[in-house]
Amino acid sequence: MKPAKFEYKDPHSVEETLDLLKQYGWDAKILAGGQSLVPMLNFRLASPEILVDINRLQDLDYVEEKDGKLAIGALTRQTTLEFSETVKSRCGLLADATELIGHPQTRNRGTVGGSIVHADPTAELTAIARALDAEMVIRSKDGERTDSAEDFFVSVMTTNLEPEEMLVEVRFPIAPPGSGWAFEEFVLRHGDFAVVGVTAAVTLNSDEVCTDARLAAIGVDETAFRDPALEEIIKGEKITDSVLKELGSQLSEKVEPFDDLHASAAQRKHLVGVLAQRALQKAANMAVENLRGEN
Amino acid sequence: MSKTKIVGQSVHRKDAARKVTGRILHVGNIEMPGLLQVAVLRSPYPHARIIGIQKSRAEAMEGVVLVLTGAEIAAMPDVDPYFGPAFKDQPILAIDRVLHVGDPVVAVVAVDRRRAEDALELIEVDYEPLPVVLDVLEAAKSGSPLVHQEFKPAGVFADLDHMEAGEKSNVCYHFKLRTGDVEAAFREADRIFEDTFTSPPAQHMPMEPHVTLVYLDEDEKVNVWTATQSPSFVRTQLSTTLGLPMNRIRVRVPYLGGGYGAKLYGKLEPLVALLALETRRPVRYALSREEEFQTITKHGAVARLKTAVKDGVITGRRCEVFFDTGAYADIGPRIVHKSGYTSAGPYRIPNVRIDSFCVYTNKPPAGAFRGFGVPQVIWAYESQMDIISRELDIDPVQFRMHHALEEGEPFATGTPVHSFGLKESLEQAAEAIEWSGPRPQNNATKVRGKGIASGVKAVLTPSISGAVVMMNSDGSVNVLSSTVEMGQGSDTVLAQIAAEELGVCFDQVHLVQPDTDVTPYDTITAGSRSTYHMGNAVRMASMKIKAQLFGVAARALEANLEDLVARDGRIFVSGSQESGMSMRDVFLAKFGSLGTTIIGEAIFEPRAIPTDPETGRSEKCTEYWFPSASAAEVEVDLETGQVKVVKFLSVGDTGTAINPRHCHQQLLGAAITQLGMTLFEEMVFEEGQLLNGSLLDYQIPSVKDLPEHFESILVEVPHETGPFGAKGVGETGTLTVSPAIANAIEDATGVRIRDLPITPEKILRGLAEKDPKPGRAEVPQ
Ligand SMILES: Cc1cc2nc3c(=O)[nH]c(=O)nc-3n(C[C@H](O)[C@H](O)[C@H](O)COP(=O)(O)OP(=O)(O)OC[C@H]3O[C@@H](n4cnc5c(N)ncnc54)[C@H](O)[C@@H]3O)c2cc1C
Repeated sequence: MKPAKFEYKDPHSVEETLDLLKQYGWDAKILAGGQSLVPMLNFRLASPEILVDINRLQDLDYVEEKDGKLAIGALTRQTTLEFSETVKSRCGLLADATELIGHPQTRNRGTVGGSIVHADPTAELTAIARALDAEMVIRSKDGERTDSAEDFFVSVMTTNLEPEEMLVEVRFPIAPPGSGWAFEEFVLRHGDFAVVGVTAAVTLNSDEVCTDARLAAIGVDETAFRDPALEEIIKGEKITDSVLKELGSQLSEKVEPFDDLHASAAQRKHLVGVLAQRALQKAANMAVENLRGEN
Repeated sequence: MSKTKIVGQSVHRKDAARKVTGRILHVGNIEMPGLLQVAVLRSPYPHARIIGIQKSRAEAMEGVVLVLTGAEIAAMPDVDPYFGPAFKDQPILAIDRVLHVGDPVVAVVAVDRRRAEDALELIEVDYEPLPVVLDVLEAAKSGSPLVHQEFKPAGVFADLDHMEAGEKSNVCYHFKLRTGDVEAAFREADRIFEDTFTSPPAQHMPMEPHVTLVYLDEDEKVNVWTATQSPSFVRTQLSTTLGLPMNRIRVRVPYLGGGYGAKLYGKLEPLVALLALETRRPVRYALSREEEFQTITKHGAVARLKTAVKDGVITGRRCEVFFDTGAYADIGPRIVHKSGYTSAGPYRIPNVRIDSFCVYTNKPPAGAFRGFGVPQVIWAYESQMDIISRELDIDPVQFRMHHALEEGEPFATGTPVHSFGLKESLEQAAEAIEWSGPRPQNNATKVRGKGIASGVKAVLTPSISGAVVMMNSDGSVNVLSSTVEMGQGSDTVLAQIAAEELGVCFDQVHLVQPDTDVTPYDTITAGSRSTYHMGNAVRMASMKIKAQLFGVAARALEANLEDLVARDGRIFVSGSQESGMSMRDVFLAKFGSLGTTIIGEAIFEPRAIPTDPETGRSEKCTEYWFPSASAAEVEVDLETGQVKVVKFLSVGDTGTAINPRHCHQQLLGAAITQLGMTLFEEMVFEEGQLLNGSLLDYQIPSVKDLPEHFESILVEVPHETGPFGAKGVGETGTLTVSPAIANAIEDATGVRIRDLPITPEKILRGLAEKDPKPGRAEVPQ
């Protein structure tokens, strides 16, 4: 199908963009990489009156280390996460997991900000943002605010952004020494949106005891699912099969997923437990290797 | 026969360079001044009466040229508002009732597509919902709601002569086959096996959706550019629909972006032709992908098999197959007939009873799909062959080899089989997968297994191909054929045949694209028939030219006709190439002038003896058979149920391969299609609404989902009446994929899947039933 009629604006600066958002409010929609918005326009699931194309805002396309964090501009293409040396060395999970987001073609266009704001319940970046406690830097005519991933994601394809606000930057913590990570997902075909996915990041001390663990799952709730109580199960422990099993089955118990065409709720409950164990095991193995490398 | 020069060579595709550089004409690219675009309002109900349509707001919209309803079409004096290849059951636009979600109701013609779509939102239709029947088994029962009140046979195709007018049932065609005494076989059997296998409705998914452009030329002639696999049929259909003589309609087909059976018979052409006639402007209608899902589908099918075994040998088989043809029969009855008679398999079984039904439901229409219903029945009989052999503890390959028909033995219809490389295909498949080798290695969570399957399809018979071959005085050749080049390589193969026969180079042969003003009748480009049928027609037409050339050359060279040879653009006495004549010299000798042409024309029309309506028997039900075998090795993740096909072999008896590379590509391409059908694809309906009607949710395999080790093997058993011994190959690779994979999965896990597609969830459920472990997360029942 073809999109309904819209007016096209291509601001040259963030300020100009914020003016437009202020002026048009709910009637405007930001166009970033277009990988989600354009199909929605074509299906006429979205019919904004004004399309604000932010692709001219090159100053929102950056990756840099800032105040001990990895700061990523909202217009940074997903491909950049995959290949940037800074991302690889500072937040390896992002670099490693990016290949799970769609296909090279969609990653070349799709942006970090677009994926986060679109808030698809199976978007990998939402899980990573939740697991690592990423911060969202948000601007409007009224100024700038910073929000936690926990508060930012509200429900299916819904964030707490106001219509006159835009996301300008996402900040991820830098991976500490002795850490390892993994993103395990279940897809039917190569490059699909995950049916269920689990990301894990762990830090081990020199005795290979877990000092920090983070776990978030997609495809089992309206937004990425994270429960710190589950993470406590392995903190202070060595990562063994029995600990993993315990955590996997508790996670399966806790989530309340939905049925859809690609999997029933029961299948999702089952998968999330299996994938959590696999992701944690991989993350732990990597942490052990990293420890040995560092020593 | 002397060795061929061009036939048997993997020459490059004629269309390849132009296709990869984007310089090929498709209907969607044609530009024309004043071209109008179409959007269609479709039914939201699976079955409803149309109470009223308010369209004045849409008509008043700027840019809208015409808004047309089915009732208006029905009132047009010379127009036949219904069309269809087997039954005239499909209205151009719904007249009084809608029969499936997506049934076309109102057409809007506007200056561009967006405005046409905008106008749809201004049209209001009042519906009164009617009782719905969706399940094929329910629909086949007497007393279920009727989709159609009466059947009107279309009367176009000879092989569908037996379609009967009827009423008061959703079964629009019932094929019966009775051989021997199947009840006696069950009474005397040691073991009886009863299984039901299902295949869901699915999509063809050509890259290019349906698209049709119609304009009236300065002579008011109806010019049709359309993405069809059957230009000749489309002309006949339009002649009936519009009440115009056939020579007032010109149907042209540029290169197709894939067909797979979706683009056969009339689809958009009747509607677009009417819109062009009404607006008197060029009009194009291009379906969106979402509309494709509502336009044509692959038949969902339920196959019940009951098989009698005595002393380790199959003695009787009963097949009941229900094909869900949706709201309009399309070519369903032909599919039910042609696949029906093969549904007991290519095996020696003395007692067979087959009942195959074509059943209307309130779903989108189902039509031809690469394999013509045969993959659905092979899914059943080849799954059951493995079930039986495992149960009897006989090697599955040996079990098949023991029953496989051999040259000259009668098929279930009574037709003796010829050029039947079934056993050879099985042997090759088994060898390539190292069937007798060691079992593949397992690890803690992943297990491996191997599976094999074989089967056969018969070519549609009777059917007709006409060709005109024209040689110019420089030896270059034009071949006029209505075979549609849709990626299968027909332009290349037909050029190879003409070049071989005429003794000119391959590059000197040009294929004229289908144009009903120019190219003669051809039944369809489908059903693995073009290489054989059009190939024979082109060869016969070429022979007629050659006879004329030889006549001239024999006089000029004072040689005997039978000593002459045509090769490399020259005609000479066998053994003395230097002494011969160039084509140019021959033409000069004949006409005394250059620029002249010699024309050869031929019609190839193999006949069949119609199957008996009560017993399904015929001494010749088909012109040729094409056996297939597949071998698969899979790896199954026991924790997630995920299946990875690690190795796959697609084996087919192609007859003599005119172009071996093309044959390999067909075997692999067809296997990819069916890999999708096996692991991913299913149109999911809820109360008649399609839940996954776009590529967002409907899943087809991509190149990254193919087996790591993926190969094809040609078994070349020449056919005595094929052009240079060739048969067809377009569908062969689809036939046996699904059961080979299911058989490998059972080998790996012990789980038998009977319902396609084979999803991870079905496997996990099977594993849980087999071995209920405490603590395993609950899997749905
Ligand atoms: C074939 C295919 C496969 C895919 N597979 C995956 C997958 O596996 N995993 C996955 O996560 N995604 C997948 N996607 C989606 C893809 O990642 C999108 O790129 C992403 O969801 C949106 O990013 P975008 O830059 O394209 O945003 P757009 O599509 O341009 O916009 C998306 C939404 O975000 C808003 N928006 C964008 N930028 C901003 C901003 N800076 N501030 C405020 N609002 C903003 C837009 O207004 C819009 O509502 C797939 C897409 C395709 C086409």
